[in-house]
Amino acid sequence: MNTHSIRFRLAAWHAALFTAFIIVLGAVLYATVKEYLDDTLLETQGRRARQIAETLLANAPQTGEDYVVREIKALYSPEQSDRFIRVTRGDGSVLYVSGPPDDQSFDPSKVPLFTAGNAVESARSEKLVDGRILLIAAFKAATIKDGHFLVEVGTSAEPVDRFAQHLLKLLALGIPLIGIIAALGGYLLAGRALRTVEQIAVKAEVITQHNLSERLPVSRTGDELERLSISLNHMITRLDDAFNNSKRFVADASHELRTPLTVIQGELENLASDAKLPVEMRDRVGSALEDVERLGKIVGKLFALSRLDAGEAQEEWTQLDLASLVSATSDQMTLLAEDKKIKVSCDAAQPVYVMGDRSRLQQVVVNLLDNAVKYTPPGGSVHLKVHGSDGQGILEIADTGVGIPAEALPLVFERFFRVDRDRSAGADGAGLGLAIVKSICVAHGGRVEVVSAVGSGSRFLATFPLAAANAKQLRQ
Amino acid sequence: MRILIVEDEHKVAEMVSRGLRAERYAVDVAASGDTGWAMAYTYDYDMVILDLGLPGMDGAALLRRIRGRNPRIPILVLTARDATASKVDSFEAGADDYLTKPFVFAELVVRVKALLRRGPANQSSVVRIADLEFDRLTQHVSRAGKRIELTPKEYALLDYLATHPGRVLSRTMIVEHVWDQSFEGLTNIVDVYVRHLRAKIDDQFPKKLIRTVRGAGYRFTDEVDT
Repeated sequence: MNTHSIRFRLAAWHAALFTAFIIVLGAVLYATVKEYLDDTLLETQGRRARQIAETLLANAPQTGEDYVVREIKALYSPEQSDRFIRVTRGDGSVLYVSGPPDDQSFDPSKVPLFTAGNAVESARSEKLVDGRILLIAAFKAATIKDGHFLVEVGTSAEPVDRFAQHLLKLLALGIPLIGIIAALGGYLLAGRALRTVEQIAVKAEVITQHNLSERLPVSRTGDELERLSISLNHMITRLDDAFNNSKRFVADASHELRTPLTVIQGELENLASDAKLPVEMRDRVGSALEDVERLGKIVGKLFALSRLDAGEAQEEWTQLDLASLVSATSDQMTLLAEDKKIKVSCDAAQPVYVMGDRSRLQQVVVNLLDNAVKYTPPGGSVHLKVHGSDGQGILEIADTGVGIPAEALPLVFERFFRVDRDRSAGADGAGLGLAIVKSICVAHGGRVEVVSAVGSGSRFLATFPLAAANAKQLRQ
Repeated sequence: MRILIVEDEHKVAEMVSRGLRAERYAVDVAASGDTGWAMAYTYDYDMVILDLGLPGMDGAALLRRIRGRNPRIPILVLTARDATASKVDSFEAGADDYLTKPFVFAELVVRVKALLRRGPANQSSVVRIADLEFDRLTQHVSRAGKRIELTPKEYALLDYLATHPGRVLSRTMIVEHVWDQSFEGLTNIVDVYVRHLRAKIDDQFPKKLIRTVRGAGYRFTDEVDT
C-alpha cells in the first residue's frame, strides 16, 4: 500500500481522529460510571448507618446494648447480605462487629478502627491488608453523655470494581475495532471522493498531441475537483491552440517560401544556362543553385511534416506487403551502398501485410536505409529484416556504422536534430529524414525506435499494426 | 504556339514567360482569375499554365470554366499546394499536368513540350544520338556498333536522359521519373547511377554524351560544348 497517497493519508487521519475521540469518550464514561457506582453504594451504606444510629442506638440507654446487637443481627443479617457493620463506643471499644460474610469477600476483624473526628457523617474507602477494598460509611449517634456511638456500615467494592473492569475490557476491545472500521470506512470514502480524480487522470493519459481536441470530464460538484478539471481543460485548450498555431505557421511559412524560391531558382537556372556568361561565373551561379535546391527540399520536407501532423497521411490506404516493398526498395538502393563498399542484405521472404500508404511507407525504408548507408563507413554492412509477430509488422534495419551516443538517442527523431554537425557535413539532409520517418510511423498507428551505441552500429525498428487478414493468418 | 499564363505572382509570371519565349513560344500573362478567363475566352490558346491560388476567380473555378469551354486544350496547373488530394482534385477538374513550386524551369519546359506534343505520337522505337543507339522495345543498347549491357535502372536513366536531348535535367527530375517520389530526398543516388552509366556508355569513347551542369543537373547531348 502506498503510504504517501492522499487516500491512505485521509483514511489514516480519519481513523486516528475517530479513535482518539472514542478513547476520550471511553475514559470519561469509565470515570463517570465508576464514581457514580461508588457514590451510590456509599449512599446506601450511609443510609443504613444513619438508620441504625437513629432507630437503635438512640434508644440504647433504655433498651440496653444487648438488644441493639440482637436487633442489628435480626434486621440486617450482615453475614448473609455480605455486609460489614461495626458499632464502636465513644471510648473506642467495639460494641458489635459483624462476622465474616458468606461470600468471604473480606474479613471484618481486619478492618482497622476509625475515628470520625467531629464529622457526624463520613465515607471512606478502606484498603485492607490483604488488598481488598471496603467502602464504608460512618455515622455518629449522639446517645451517651461521655461519648458517641460510631456506626460503620460497609460493603466490598469488588462488584463495582468488577463491573468497572468489565467496562474497561469492553472499551479495550471495542476501541481498536472501531479504529479499524474507521480506517476501512475512511479508505472507502476517500476512494469514492478520489474516483473523479482517477477518471480525470485516465482521460488525461490518453490525450496526446494527436487528439488535443478532446477534453477531460468535468465533475459538476462546485468544488476543487471541478476547478481542477476546468483548469486542466483550459490548459489543454491552450496547448491545442499552440500546436495548431505552430502547425499552421509551418504550413504557411513553407507555402509562402515556395513562390520566392521558384523565382530565385528559375532566374539562377536561366543564368546558369546562359552561354555568354564566363565559366567561373556560371560555376558560382551553379553553386548558388545547389543551395537553392537544397532550401527547396527542406521547405518541401517541412511542408510534408506539417501535413503528416495534420493527419493527412492516409492519402492512399491499402493493404500492402511490407516485405516485398522493403526488398524492392532496398534493391533499388543497393548500388548506392555498393558505391560506398557497403554490403546490403535483406531478409524479407515471408509476406507481412500492413495497411498504409505505399509511397509513405517506402519513404520510411528509403530514409532509414539512406541513413544507415550514410553513417556506415566503407567495408561495413547493412541488414534489413521484415517479420510479423504479435499483430505487428516489424522492419529492422541494422548497420555496422558509427553508432549514436547515448545522450543523442532520445533526440534523433526530432526535427533538425543532427548527432554531429561535422559528420553530417556533405550529406545534404537537414536533419528531417528521421523526423519524417517518425511522423509516418505514428500516422500509420505504429512507432519507430532505435538501439545504438557508439562504435557498435545502430538498429532501427519500425513497427506497424498488421492488416486484419495477416493477423487472422497468424492466429491459425 | 501560343500559351496563356495565369499567375498573380508577377515575378514568377515574368520568369516563366521569359523562359518560354526563349523556347520560341508566344506567351500572354494574366494576373487574376477574371482576366485569365476573359483572355482564354477571347483568344485561341494552344495551352494554359494556371496557378491555383488566384485573386478574383479562384484557380480551380477557372480551370473548370476553361475545360468546360474547350475540352481539348492542354492545361498545366502550377501551385504551391502539393497535397495529393489537391493534385487529384485538379486532375478531376480537367488538368493535364501538375507542377509544384518551387519547380525546376527545365522541368516546366519538358512538361510543356510533352503536353503540346500529345496527340499523334510520333515516337520511333529506336533512338539514335551520335553513335549511341537503343531500342525501346527490346531495350538493346549499343554504341559504335558495340553491344552494351545495362541494368534496368541504368536503362531507365538512359531512356529518360535521351528523351530530352540537349536539355538540363535536374537530379530531382531524374529521381522523380526514374525512381519515384519516395526517393525525392535521395538525389545522390542519381550521381551514383550516372557514374555507372557513364562507365558503360561514355568512358571508352572520346565523345562524352552525358554532361554535368554544375548546380543544375545533367544534360544528354552530342553537341560540342561551348
